[in-house]
Amino acid sequence: MTKRSLLIGTALAIAFASIGYGSSRFWAYLVYAVAISSIGAMSLNLLIGFCGQITFAQGALIGVGAYAAANLGNAGWGGLVALLGAGMFGALTSALIGLPAMRLRGLYFAISTLAAQFILSYFFKLLEPLTNGVSGLVVKPLVLFGRTVKGDQEYAVICVVVLYLSWIFLSRLTRTNVGRAFLVIRESELVARGMGIDVARTKMQAFLISGFFAGLCGGLLAFTSRLASPEAFEISLSVDQTAMIIVGGLGSLAGSVVGAVFVALLPEAIQRFGELLPSAALVSAFREMAFGILIILFLLLEPRGLVALGQRLWRRQRNETTEKAAELPSNATNENHGNSAIPALEGRKA
Amino acid sequence: MTFVIQLAIAGIATGSVYALIALGIVLIYKCSGVVNFAQGAYAMLGAYITYALLRAGLPSLAAVLLGMILMGGVGIATERLVLRRMLNAPIVSIMMVTLGLLIFFKAFCLAIWGPDPIAFPPVFPNGSVDVAGIFITYNYIAAFVLATTLSISFLYFYRFTSIGLMQRCAADNSRAALAIGIHVSNQVSVAWAASAALAGLGGVLLATLGGLSLGISDIGLVAFPVIVVGGLESLVGALIAGFLLGILEAFTEGMLTPNLEHFLRSFTNIQSVGALQQVIPYALLVLMLLVRPQGIFGQRGTERV
Repeated sequence: MTKRSLLIGTALAIAFASIGYGSSRFWAYLVYAVAISSIGAMSLNLLIGFCGQITFAQGALIGVGAYAAANLGNAGWGGLVALLGAGMFGALTSALIGLPAMRLRGLYFAISTLAAQFILSYFFKLLEPLTNGVSGLVVKPLVLFGRTVKGDQEYAVICVVVLYLSWIFLSRLTRTNVGRAFLVIRESELVARGMGIDVARTKMQAFLISGFFAGLCGGLLAFTSRLASPEAFEISLSVDQTAMIIVGGLGSLAGSVVGAVFVALLPEAIQRFGELLPSAALVSAFREMAFGILIILFLLLEPRGLVALGQRLWRRQRNETTEKAAELPSNATNENHGNSAIPALEGRKA
Repeated sequence: MTFVIQLAIAGIATGSVYALIALGIVLIYKCSGVVNFAQGAYAMLGAYITYALLRAGLPSLAAVLLGMILMGGVGIATERLVLRRMLNAPIVSIMMVTLGLLIFFKAFCLAIWGPDPIAFPPVFPNGSVDVAGIFITYNYIAAFVLATTLSISFLYFYRFTSIGLMQRCAADNSRAALAIGIHVSNQVSVAWAASAALAGLGGVLLATLGGLSLGISDIGLVAFPVIVVGGLESLVGALIAGFLLGILEAFTEGMLTPNLEHFLRSFTNIQSVGALQQVIPYALLVLMLLVRPQGIFGQRGTERV
């Protein structure tokens, strides 16, 4: 993490925390919804974008975190314990889901996580003593440092703080040996083994860390929505989260946040337009259709995400100014096409 | 005993539809390397289109056939407009784009036909045959006969006709196929058309068995256990595994669930095991991936990357 990005991140965190704290409930709600989605998207991006392990069980993992936090919180534990516990349970479940990754790769592993998603959603409905079945578990308000958190504004601040800490941790992590080992595994497991990286162990670390933050995201989701119900953690949540990291940019933490902003705010924006439509079913159809079309268009037109688009525009801007200054011929290779493509994820047959 | 046979028949009928859907997924995967999560959406769209044609007054056979042809067009359109432009994209993007298609088609049907289930007009004559005390409705027979004959004739087409040969060439090695003068991208379109048409028929059969609703699209995800158990690259495997999972589901629902619930009630205070039949295929999938990742009919040695 460079000093500049740390500064920008801190400034943004403070700005959003104060927007969340100082404004109406609706804006506070938007701030914490985006912050929670961003934590989940960063954890998913660590696994898919950095380590190359495609998973569709993210929704279920967030669910595990939500139920863990809800149960711990309702049993009278403090908020800190409940949130950390949610992370722990998320990490453990993620490690279990990751076990097949020791043997399977790419597509086959992705299908096995699909199975994990369905089996976990089944358990959410089945284990009534812990989850209260299909009707959902009502969650008591978050108690932090002996004080009950009141109001959406305070939740917004807490969520932004957790997001900020998670971002610092994860961006530090990607600069360590472990984080770099993730990248090598993404590019080629063979090369990783050749370099003396313990592939199984490193993958397990990726699953544990990613699972921890997914669980944390679920814990915050449970406390802010005050209800943990199985239909909130179905495959569609996994799809939303994957859409976030693809829209934002695979392998970029900032991209996860940008994507989360985009995907979380999109339904709100469309809802506004949709209120002109005659029936509620039509509004939801319209919203879903726009979501589907946007995912497809994004993948077709800007497959490397908003962050890559931003970088390209930034570079073009800078090139133009330097060109004007030095009157040098333009450099066509500066756009860096294909440089950040991810070969290990390209599993299609030639 | 009668009950067991009844269950087996119900299982075979739904299993034959699974086989149709799974066949389509395998076909697309072999030919273009795309894992198509939108296959269930094709089934749903096919059922709704056929419904609209039936309502417009077309005779059953014509409606089903025209529905399949239209679905073939939808298949070609998705391939040309979307998937062809993503040839070099990462595999996660390709999975995601098919999920986007699934969301889009579902919303499309929701916008036109609304969220409520619709009673599907009878395509096959009502009534049932009675074989030694076992009742088999014509719907079951039609589902089984249509799905099986279509799948088997499809396999024959694939093996013994010149287009089938070109299809196999293009799927096996697209560069070599190009070198000997096969128009590979046309072959890919053919595969998508065939697979969408098969899925459309599968959707119609599902609608005759259980009514028309947006839930038909879920079958696209249920088909994944089928193709993993059968082997991702094996058409025959998809067919057999389809029947296998259909029967397994029927027996889980009819026999295992009641017995298990009875057992649990007498020892614990768990009252219900819920929709166990929806989870069993996935449990089998995980087991299969751990024991024999290439599936029953897959071949070892192909790189699973």
